[in-house]
Amino acid sequence: MVELWSGYAWPTIIIVLQIVAIIIPLLVGVAYLTYAERKVLAAMQLRQGPNMVGPFGLFQPLADGLKLFGKETVIPAGANRVVFVFAPMLTFLLSLIAWAVIPFSSTMVLANINVGVLYLFAISSLGVYGIIMAGWASNSKYAFLGGLRSAAQMVSYEVSIGFVIITVLLCVGSLNLSDVVLAQRTVWFAIPLFPMFVVFFISALAETNRAPFDLPEGESELVGGYNVEYSAMTFALFFLGEYANMILMSAMTSILFLGGWLPPFDIAPLNWIPGPIWFALKIALVLFMFLWVRATVPRYRYDQLMRLGWKVFLPFSLFWVILTAGVLVTFGWLP
Amino acid sequence: MTEFPVLTPALPEIFMALSAITLLMLGVFRGDGDTRLISYLTVGVEVVAAVLVLTGSGVREVTFSNLFVMDSFGAFMKVLVLMGSALSVLVSINYIEREQMKRIEFPVLMLLATLGMMMMVSANDLISLYVGLELQSLALYVLAAFRRDHAKSSEAGLKYFVLGALSSGMLLYGASLVYGFAGTTNFSVLADLFAGHGQQAGHTSIGLIAGLTFVAAGLAFKISAVPFHMWTPDVYEGAPTPVTAFFAVAPKVAAIALFVRLLIEPFGSMVDQWRQIIYFTALASMVLGSFAAIGQTNIKRLMAYSSIGHIGFALVGLAAGTELGVRGVMFYMAIYIFMNIGTFGIILCMRQNGRMVEEITDLAGLSKTHPMLALAMLIFMFSMAGIPPAAGFFAKLFVFQAAIQAHLYSLAILGVLASVVGAFYYLRIIKVMYFDEPVEPLDRNISGEMTLVIAGTSLFTLLFFFFPSPLLNGAAAAAASLFAG
Amino acid sequence: MIVQSLAFYLFAAILVASAVMVIAARNPVHSVLFLILAFFNAAGLFVLIGAEFVAMILVIVYVGAVAVLFLFVVMMLDINFRELRSGALQYLPVGITVGLVLLVELALVLGTWVIVPDLAAVSGAPTPAPDQINNTHALGLLIYTHYAYLFQAAGLILLIAMIGAIVLTLRSREGVRRQNISAQVSRRRDQVVAIRKVPTRGGV
Repeated sequence: MVELWSGYAWPTIIIVLQIVAIIIPLLVGVAYLTYAERKVLAAMQLRQGPNMVGPFGLFQPLADGLKLFGKETVIPAGANRVVFVFAPMLTFLLSLIAWAVIPFSSTMVLANINVGVLYLFAISSLGVYGIIMAGWASNSKYAFLGGLRSAAQMVSYEVSIGFVIITVLLCVGSLNLSDVVLAQRTVWFAIPLFPMFVVFFISALAETNRAPFDLPEGESELVGGYNVEYSAMTFALFFLGEYANMILMSAMTSILFLGGWLPPFDIAPLNWIPGPIWFALKIALVLFMFLWVRATVPRYRYDQLMRLGWKVFLPFSLFWVILTAGVLVTFGWLP
Repeated sequence: MTEFPVLTPALPEIFMALSAITLLMLGVFRGDGDTRLISYLTVGVEVVAAVLVLTGSGVREVTFSNLFVMDSFGAFMKVLVLMGSALSVLVSINYIEREQMKRIEFPVLMLLATLGMMMMVSANDLISLYVGLELQSLALYVLAAFRRDHAKSSEAGLKYFVLGALSSGMLLYGASLVYGFAGTTNFSVLADLFAGHGQQAGHTSIGLIAGLTFVAAGLAFKISAVPFHMWTPDVYEGAPTPVTAFFAVAPKVAAIALFVRLLIEPFGSMVDQWRQIIYFTALASMVLGSFAAIGQTNIKRLMAYSSIGHIGFALVGLAAGTELGVRGVMFYMAIYIFMNIGTFGIILCMRQNGRMVEEITDLAGLSKTHPMLALAMLIFMFSMAGIPPAAGFFAKLFVFQAAIQAHLYSLAILGVLASVVGAFYYLRIIKVMYFDEPVEPLDRNISGEMTLVIAGTSLFTLLFFFFPSPLLNGAAAAAASLFAG
Repeated sequence: MIVQSLAFYLFAAILVASAVMVIAARNPVHSVLFLILAFFNAAGLFVLIGAEFVAMILVIVYVGAVAVLFLFVVMMLDINFRELRSGALQYLPVGITVGLVLLVELALVLGTWVIVPDLAAVSGAPTPAPDQINNTHALGLLIYTHYAYLFQAAGLILLIAMIGAIVLTLRSREGVRRQNISAQVSRRRDQVVAIRKVPTRGGV
């Protein structure tokens, strides 16, 4: 009995608590990311943004969430019910389980697995299923077109993301995310691998279906895209999943290129601040760039999007992989 | 750290791979207008590769951690493959321009398929066998469907693909059984294992034999031996004619080489087990090839059945399982290439008013309209039927000799009977050409390359008996190298 | 160990069940979705035996790329699968017979399974102990040294597949206007805009 308690039950409780400790801040982060998005867009367009609910409109996300909770879930008559309901759940679930391997500091990580980078890559490649299933199950032209666009887009950009990750891995010599961060103690990879950083950031925009690559939801042509038939909680789950994915991609950007939890310089006042705070700050910075891009850049045409992915990023990142490998071998810098 | 592999034994293959990639780049940047140039360059690359093969050391060398072997058996077969491929590219040049198939990928795919065949010939491991085979097959599937706007060509490609994939599956299943029961996929190690244990009864487990059977079935598919021949007539008929010519020679030679190496090297001491399989396949192929061809009216289908029959004759040599038998197989394949390419060259000349025709009756009265062409066809048909003094007679002679020496009397006798039946339809073509009245004459313009190919191959076939020694000695030395190791 | 075996039975049970559903599901899209579930559980089994690299690659390649394209095609195909399947039942006896024959053969074969005794001495590539090296590293060492030849050959096969796909499907259509970005960008204002003084009532 004692063994059962100390061997199984107690560790399970610990893990559940850890999971909760990751997910609650994440969900709060998602809620306030929507708020931040509206505020930042408003500021860039010389508007006020939400300012009525609570001080500075701070309770706006909560009010929005409450409204979605209270609404009725509509399932279209011709829809495939099981898949229709399952799709948003899958999207949300995937955006959460990826966080299991993210290191918040040198000690704070739920699962410090050897192939962390591959795990992240695998989970992010699954994200497409939620969308394609939603598009198909809705039994609606717009939703289906949105789903197809999204699937094609995500599969295309995953290729260049893969090559970018390979360049980083070449410099690290390990697939473990903590090792990736620790390899950046001297210099963040954003500096020597700057072109790859740019490619990664743009691909991350495409991967999360954000502006200027938000064709799957292109409201001017597809009235909202794959989630046009969704309402209430099912819609909320998509929404949460998407924003959680944005935060995840920002976290990945920070880990791969901006030194994760490390301070910019390992000197006195900077290294007093704990790692998780630095990490959060970096994520916030990348997220700000996501929003900034949305406010600035017009939407791509679909063929241009595909051209960029296959004819520009793929050869370029492939070239850069070879260049990096060549430099590392020539100068004997291989880790 | 593993040693960097020795590259010299694989030099021809490496050269071909790099050239294929270079030619592809060249073609992509120059456009389809330069297909003729790319074709000539492809032929050039194959000639250089043949020279590289011939200038090799001639002693048995293994490299790439024992996955790749180069010996004089391999050299002989590779030269045959390269020759067949180069001749096919030569006869295809005008055809693809006429039939709106002029795309630079055509010669490049031929080159890559040839590369796959070379890798098959040199395989020294079940995995490298499979990889080479897939490289070859994949290129051939595409080539069969190359004329994508024609329903027949697409059908041929699809049929070939589906059945080819099935046969690859069988081969893999057999290979995994062999691996499961022997614990290794390497030919040299397998040979050592069986040399120690195969002779003692009880050690050749039933699983190994099952595995060997499946591998043999997969390979029989590729050489279109009965009972795995059913794709051949449809694919031969549907594929563009130069591709059919290519199918009829190069992959057959490579797959036969692979078959011989597989059965003689690793499974050499299990000869009693596999002989019955080969015996049956050889016999069935000879009989079916002879009888089924009689009713054909389309000359490409006829050639398909003829090739099934020829494979049967070649397998007679393998069934013998002796050095003499292997020499016979190699010799047979060499002759087979020349007469087949020549015949397909003539089929490619069969045009009426710029349109390809494929019926046997279209050859009527060829001796009056094109006496030289008819003469060449006469030589090829005599050779295929095995009538002396054409080269085909000697080819058959050697395999039957080997069979008799191995005490396979029944096989030899039935083979001779089958070849007598087979002679009927070859002679029928001659009858149509020489004794029927011409209905509509064939077009006269025959390109320079085609004339060269037809003249060269027919002279070889006719005059072979004057100087048989180089080919015979080469085959003998090559066969000896297979049995030395 | 209990957790491991529980996880094994969970993954294995779902794997087999979803594999059955792949062929049993009426809707082809459901079949593909079950196939994905099966892949996923297979990856789980790989993790359990400590092959985490293979597990992740399975998910990335099969689930993340191959199955997406599969789903794509199946969703867009307009085939009446009900009709296609209606004939399937009459082949059932034949299928069951073939399956039984194969099963009996397999049983016969496995019943006589004797691995050649001195195998360990001859086996090609020695496997390092799992605690000395992580499996990404071990795979890399084998693929890029021992099996470099096969690696390169596999690359050539993929090249052929690519050429083949292009040859068989790419059609250059007539009358398509293509975008030339450098021409667009390098266009100057004075080449395309002319400023005219238009006299009143005169027109251009």
